[in-house]
Amino acid sequence: MNAALVSMVVPFFAAMLVLMWRPQQQSWLVIVASIVSLLAAMMALLSVIDSGPQSLNLGGWESPLAIRFQLMPVNALLIVTTAVIHLIVVCFAASSHHCQSIKQAFWPLALLLHGSLVALWLSMDLFNWYVTLELLGLAAVSLVTLAGHKALRAALDYLLLSLFASLTYLLGVVMLYGQYGTLDIALLATLTEADRVTQTALLLISAGLMLKAALWPLHLWLPAAHSSAPTPVSALLSALVVKAPLFILWLLWSRVAPSELAVPMGFWLALLGGGALMIGGWSACRTPHLKTLVAYSTVAQLGYGLLALGLLLHWQLNDLQAALWLFVVAHALAKTSMFLAAGEIQASTGKKRLNSLRGMTLTMPVALFAFAVAGGSLIGLPPSGGFIAKWLLIQPMLIEPAHWPWALLVIIATLLSAAYVFRVVSQGFRQSSVSATATEHGKSAQWLALLPAILVWLMALFSEPLLQLMDVFSA
Amino acid sequence: MTLSLQLFLASGGILWLTGLYGLWRNSDPIRRIISLNIMGSGVFLVMVTLARRETSTDPVLHALVVTGLVVAVSATAFALRLAVASQQEKR
Repeated sequence: MNAALVSMVVPFFAAMLVLMWRPQQQSWLVIVASIVSLLAAMMALLSVIDSGPQSLNLGGWESPLAIRFQLMPVNALLIVTTAVIHLIVVCFAASSHHCQSIKQAFWPLALLLHGSLVALWLSMDLFNWYVTLELLGLAAVSLVTLAGHKALRAALDYLLLSLFASLTYLLGVVMLYGQYGTLDIALLATLTEADRVTQTALLLISAGLMLKAALWPLHLWLPAAHSSAPTPVSALLSALVVKAPLFILWLLWSRVAPSELAVPMGFWLALLGGGALMIGGWSACRTPHLKTLVAYSTVAQLGYGLLALGLLLHWQLNDLQAALWLFVVAHALAKTSMFLAAGEIQASTGKKRLNSLRGMTLTMPVALFAFAVAGGSLIGLPPSGGFIAKWLLIQPMLIEPAHWPWALLVIIATLLSAAYVFRVVSQGFRQSSVSATATEHGKSAQWLALLPAILVWLMALFSEPLLQLMDVFSA
Repeated sequence: MTLSLQLFLASGGILWLTGLYGLWRNSDPIRRIISLNIMGSGVFLVMVTLARRETSTDPVLHALVVTGLVVAVSATAFALRLAVASQQEKR
């Protein structure tokens, strides 16, 4: 537990410290803080594997009044993923020449984002989630504004929607508190009954969370906000920030909600997930802009998460938990790679449109390779992290013949994601009419973009311990 | 639950819905920020009303309202600054 707390507190302190630091050395401070946070996160994961879930009541207050932190295998894994992605993104921002202008403000905000995410993963309290969601939202919106004047409108829309979603969430939380008199997840789980008030409260909370996670059909703000943000910010938002509400949604419906409510809701969630896969994939195949394509791919891929969550609730199958969280981790890594590569390409050509990618195999081979490798995991090609997750998801569908429509849905979604990934890669292989000018200075940034894509393929090699970790949890 | 408490609960709900309607119908950023604040007041009214249900007031809900107010004030300040900046950009 202490290691997890260190992983949360270090980014917060570093965020304060970096404001007082000399500008030339800020990047080193941030990188060191990220490394410390990652090491602490890994120690937390090891301690969970050794001694099981641990919990802590903040300030030593007793049960109904306490704000509880809990460390479980799932959130330990998420804390490690968060720290890994932050470290890569921070190194990318330090090495990319296109990020010079945003750095001063980027460092403290990125660190605040990191700290609030870890706090959210650790919390097991409805109101503390509200606070951490607000922290996360404010940090995320401030990061979007760093892209300059053009992004202000998108940032404002993002902020207003995020605040609206928070208030919807808060009203639901208050109704639950009014009914049961507690905010703690474990206590609520023992108390909830399937009555009208509980149902309304859960639906309000879910609507707020789905808006924040940009789950279809409440996804309309995401492509604008994520594609107009600076490159490292887009990567953080798409890889991590949208996963936070999904985590709360999962705990709420699988733990707190009584099964009479969770089973029918699961069907609708799975259906919405299917909608996200279709519409998000289709939009990604149609958009003319590179970063918007990647953002729509996030909408589509979140559909897998929602589908896994919905079917988990609908069939009451705990095995699907592993599918859900491996999806989240695999997508986080792959999407980081994709956004960093796409952003680096876009910044060096100066154009947003897809056809500016022509001849990229010659000028920026590493970035294009990173995009293709990450795309392979999004499609679910073996042996990548995306493949394992999809395999786990599809298994219960294949066992039961009556579940064939879901399997068909996943297959169509796979084809759609293959279509939009190849749309980008094939452009890169086309002959360019403009003479190719090799860009030497972007090399290290390109390799950093490739790193998470390699990690996601390595996940396949370590699938055995990962699955065991998930089993420990569902047991 | 007494009649007056029910009245307060209902007005909290109506405020929330009014704010929702305002947010949906308006496109001007300042109006939308005000609508959000009306929604927020609705939630806080529900919270303080629920705190009064028993003879001794519930301190937890009061603490939550105070926290919520802090969040609402800072978020509103940030939203107003953003609205002004994007308005200046348009000109």
